Amino acid sequence: MRKRLFAKNYSPFKPSPLAAALSYLALGFWALVVLFPIFWLVVTSFKTPIQVDTGPFYLPYIDFQPTLDSWHYILLGDLQNDTFRNYGNTIVVALTSSIIVLFMGSAAAYALVRFNYQPRYATIGLFIVCVGLSIVAVLNGVPWQLAIVAALVIFFLLWQTIGRRFKAALSNNDIAFWLISQRMLPPIATIIPIYVLFQQVGLLDTQIALIIAYIASNLPIVIWLMRDYFQNVPLELEEGAAIDGASRYRIFTSIVLPLSVPGLVATFLFVLVFAWNEYLLALFLSSAKAQTLPLIVAAQNATRGPQWWYMSVLILIMIIPVIIMAIALERFIARGLLVGAVKG
Amino acid sequence: MLRGLTRSKLRNKRNATGLLLLAIMCQLVLAACGDPTATTIPATTTAAPATTAAATTTTAAATTTVAATTTTAAATTTAVATTTAAPTAVPTTASLQFQGTEINILTFTGPQIAEPLQRRGPDFTKLTGAKVNIITVPFSDLYQKILIDASTKTNSYTGYVLAPQWMPDFVTPGYLEDLTARIKADKALQWDDVQAFFRDFSSSYQGKNYTIPLDGDFHVAYYRTDVLEKAGMKPPETWQDYLNIAKAFQGKDMGFGPGYGSCISKKRGAQAFWFIYDIAASMIQSQGTAQGTFFDQDTMKPLVNNEAFAAALDLYKETTKYGPPDELNLDVGDTRGLFDTGKCALSLDWGDIGTLALDPATSKVKDKVGTIILPGSDQVLDRATGKLVKCDTKTCPYATNGVNHAPFAAFGGWSGAVNAAAPSKAKDAAYAFLSYMNQPAQSNEDVTLGKTGFNPYRTSQFKNLDPWKKIGMSDTAAANYLGALANSLNSPNVVLDLRIPQNQKYQQVVLDTAIAQFLAGELTRDQTMKQINDGWEEITNEIGRDKQLASYKATLGVVK
Amino acid sequence: MSRREPLQVKTSVQGSPLIEEGLEPIPTTSRLRGVAARTEGVANAVFIGPAIVVVLMFAIFPLIVSLYISMSRMSFVAGGIDIKFIGFDNYNKLLFGSQKTHLLGLSSDVPPLGWVLLAGAAGLLGWGLLRYIQAKYFSIGGLIGRGVATVIVLAGVWLLVQTTLQAPGRPGTLSITLIYVFAGITFQYFIGLGLALLLVQKLPGRRFFRVIFLIPMMITPVGVAYMFRMLTDFGKGPFTPIWKGFGLGNVSWVSDPWLARLAVIIGDVWQWTPFMFIVLLAGLEGLPVEPLEAAVVDGANRLQIFRYITWHALLPVSTTLILIRMIEAFKIVDLPNVLTNGGPGTATESLTLHSFIAWRTLDLGGSAAVAYLLLLVVTFLGTAYVNLIRHRAVEAL
Repeated sequence: MRKRLFAKNYSPFKPSPLAAALSYLALGFWALVVLFPIFWLVVTSFKTPIQVDTGPFYLPYIDFQPTLDSWHYILLGDLQNDTFRNYGNTIVVALTSSIIVLFMGSAAAYALVRFNYQPRYATIGLFIVCVGLSIVAVLNGVPWQLAIVAALVIFFLLWQTIGRRFKAALSNNDIAFWLISQRMLPPIATIIPIYVLFQQVGLLDTQIALIIAYIASNLPIVIWLMRDYFQNVPLELEEGAAIDGASRYRIFTSIVLPLSVPGLVATFLFVLVFAWNEYLLALFLSSAKAQTLPLIVAAQNATRGPQWWYMSVLILIMIIPVIIMAIALERFIARGLLVGAVKG
Repeated sequence: MLRGLTRSKLRNKRNATGLLLLAIMCQLVLAACGDPTATTIPATTTAAPATTAAATTTTAAATTTVAATTTTAAATTTAVATTTAAPTAVPTTASLQFQGTEINILTFTGPQIAEPLQRRGPDFTKLTGAKVNIITVPFSDLYQKILIDASTKTNSYTGYVLAPQWMPDFVTPGYLEDLTARIKADKALQWDDVQAFFRDFSSSYQGKNYTIPLDGDFHVAYYRTDVLEKAGMKPPETWQDYLNIAKAFQGKDMGFGPGYGSCISKKRGAQAFWFIYDIAASMIQSQGTAQGTFFDQDTMKPLVNNEAFAAALDLYKETTKYGPPDELNLDVGDTRGLFDTGKCALSLDWGDIGTLALDPATSKVKDKVGTIILPGSDQVLDRATGKLVKCDTKTCPYATNGVNHAPFAAFGGWSGAVNAAAPSKAKDAAYAFLSYMNQPAQSNEDVTLGKTGFNPYRTSQFKNLDPWKKIGMSDTAAANYLGALANSLNSPNVVLDLRIPQNQKYQQVVLDTAIAQFLAGELTRDQTMKQINDGWEEITNEIGRDKQLASYKATLGVVK
Repeated sequence: MSRREPLQVKTSVQGSPLIEEGLEPIPTTSRLRGVAARTEGVANAVFIGPAIVVVLMFAIFPLIVSLYISMSRMSFVAGGIDIKFIGFDNYNKLLFGSQKTHLLGLSSDVPPLGWVLLAGAAGLLGWGLLRYIQAKYFSIGGLIGRGVATVIVLAGVWLLVQTTLQAPGRPGTLSITLIYVFAGITFQYFIGLGLALLLVQKLPGRRFFRVIFLIPMMITPVGVAYMFRMLTDFGKGPFTPIWKGFGLGNVSWVSDPWLARLAVIIGDVWQWTPFMFIVLLAGLEGLPVEPLEAAVVDGANRLQIFRYITWHALLPVSTTLILIRMIEAFKIVDLPNVLTNGGPGTATESLTLHSFIAWRTLDLGGSAAVAYLLLLVVTFLGTAYVNLIRHRAVEAL
């Protein structure tokens, strides 16, 4: 009789009444800390500019008369088209990029955990040299398509010949560190090259550009987080399946992924949130058609100073879908792994 | 053991995964069609005239025979909204001249500046057939968007509504279309009605016109008429007066709870670098606009290491004592809010407080606001010695009552420009649209509405008090407000904002950071002046002193 | 291309308790036929291929280009962009020239407290070096690396001590960023851990709390920054009556550098604690329960259980989490930008904000130079951290 770990109502820690009371106190305090700013946002969204400027009013109907002006302006008034267009873009871009990056990243994380890569210094060095050459060529007027193809060919040739001579190699951990180091450079430094990159392939102001850009920037996070969750999947399960004749791909999709659902869900939430809220790339890669919601939020700070009333409305409508998704997905995080059921 | 996970469960999970992948494919295909309209509302952001007509209460009132100022007139009829086109508004007599042309105008998210463009876009379409898309981005990123779009030859935009101060950086690489010829040929524009300052300085660079002004920008001082009257004080003439008044009212109740003497924006990275020159220029420039305020005209050395600037810094810092405790973090939106809710006795601002004060949704001080030309100084700088000398007929030829005023035309006023790399039909259409926005029939109404962000810039807008009375200004208030603006504009000693290449580095990086550090106490006054001086010299040397000097002289030399 | 045994395990954490001793890799390739065998063989490329390609495309090219920009001066001229190579001028300006006090801060005399801190840091680092020399995995290369790292860390501590402790000294953007990162992560981690531990218990209503606590992370960072601007506003913010009640009606946090930094840190902690919380919660939920039950049976109290079992089990997840969060935290820009634009003076300006301000006025070379300095700092700290943790984690298990 296997005990299911962390089935919904099971927990090894059943707190005593005193501990429970103290816990509720602490939790309640932090809930207050989290919710008060949201409350303030809600209240501000129902105020007129003069009510905001005159001083803090806390309770509608008691302190001040609420109005629907800001909501009307954003959802039904002048900003309506912008709001809905941006909303749609945000949803499509965030969802698509999150799902794709989740699978791509999980596959890579699994590979980093189970396979043994040994990229050689020589290979890497050659690659960088070829990239450098192609950049120099492009800067000197060679059309970029030609430069890239030529660089790839040169790389392949050199790699097969010279590259084989040098054996010193890196390890999985180095690959992993290289991946996460992609997030170290502030995006502001790379925004212009990325803009030019997309401009050359004609993808500016499209949702695809944003999707690709978000996939690229969120991959390292997915890989790093999923590595840890995959390491907790016991090897026996996979070996058993291999003995049964399953291919590597089947093992991954049928065994490993289902067992890592909490980790997958938590990671999905992260990347969704990152893509949903991303500002700088969206600002530059979109101009008219592909704008996303964070742009209008920031845009409420115009020459007259921030327009708090509009901004509050926009922030609120931005977080509502994400909260709903978090509520729906939260149970998956809490379910826990079935790992313990397998022991013995 | 593996049987613990039932096969059906795994299969279900696989099916789910498969479905999910299918969903992604569909989404990708949709997105790849590159047409977000499949999932969203059409991209054109020009709002339907019917819904915005309700918001603008005066569209019906534009025709001068209407006496009523009620909002219902506009709200009930959608047809009326499109009749704002007065007879002289149409650029050409042939209608639907631009049928099939689409223009994209880039500006920053409103409602200021963008709202009138969006409101009048459909009217223009009805007149000429050109489709008008107003694209907006956050204000702080507008400059980069334009520059990167133009310099990488992406050219997504046909025209821009931008700040004339940015012209040197856009004209030199050739991004802006030369509009001189079009303006000359455009009779409907009534170019001579535009105040000389905006005609000859703001919209032109090195002798050619590149922009059409839509908004007039310069600083004035505001005061609470009721409060000063009660105390028997006169509006400030000099900066010392300003300080005295501020001191007298700091902490006093002015009808809305304890208030502050003076509210000036001092936040870093906001507008503080303009406000310091409100004070400094009155001491540095006295011989007329062509003398310039920022640099020495022979050597291009900054005019910041002298007694005048030192005095200005001291004055600026002292106003902090008579202001709100968090004045160091207030930008101009906050100070306007404070003044309009009755918390300040004095303030400095562009023309916005005048119109914002009339709107009951934003103001509690309607009919209590007085406007006056920027306070001046009775001492000015002797540039040879770097010391302050008393004002007399030689040192201050334009002084009034022995006080030298130097109204600062900060920022230059939002103007429309055309992308030189756009297709020629689109360029014509964009020009026509900008001209349409500038023409008296549209402009005269827009400048009276606080929410448009347009301030007056045409002579007729100063002379004709009717539209102002319609929006609720009393006779005295209108005369006072317009009088102050007109005085400032017409002064022979107007200070031109810095318009040499990379002026942003001079003002927004070096000057702004140094002032912020000075106000925060990180630098002493002398260290501040030295830091500004060294910083400006460094930039000038990097770019090339002769080039900058020639540029500087050119921008000053245009004014007759 | 050599084919590796698919089941050969080389995980980064040795000795996982879940692998039985003496398990040998089972060759499976002989059981598969034809195409399947070939696709199986390239599985290791297929799995990681897409990710590597995407990252390469977006990593190498912009990195090299922005490195080049950081060593040049960009200007916009007729016909396009003019990039003039100027070598290390931008870096010179930052480290030794006109931007030196902006970046590194203004130093002052070091008070006694500063000497104490410096001595303490030197002692800790020296002890770490000693332990390394005595450890099993000692190597000359490692010693040199650690020696260099020690020197750099000491230099950093010296910089901080010189600029932050006494009046005329003020920290530059580098020090301010370090303060944000370390203070922020410490608070975020411990608050997140506390919340996760509380919510692992069987308490009615915990699902509600779990969702609520996620909210701050879901608001766009620009929005959070404006929200805090609203909350901390002196005239209109909701806390103003409380300040005034305390008699602080004339003191504003915007005028004091440390209070302004505190405001930024509070905003940062509020926003990113959920990140720590949810990862630690998922980690806690995934722990096997048998050891815990056994400990309870043995009579251990909760503190002991936490200290000896839970903490060690959480270590791998925690270390990854802190690394990820540290890398992100160095890029803090929205909060200082919106709250105070880096003010008062330069008191709250982080490195990314420094870079951003330069970028806004088209000093693209200078902006890229600051960004690369940030990259250097983060790379150094990240590498040191990973090395430190990897060996500690191996030892701990």
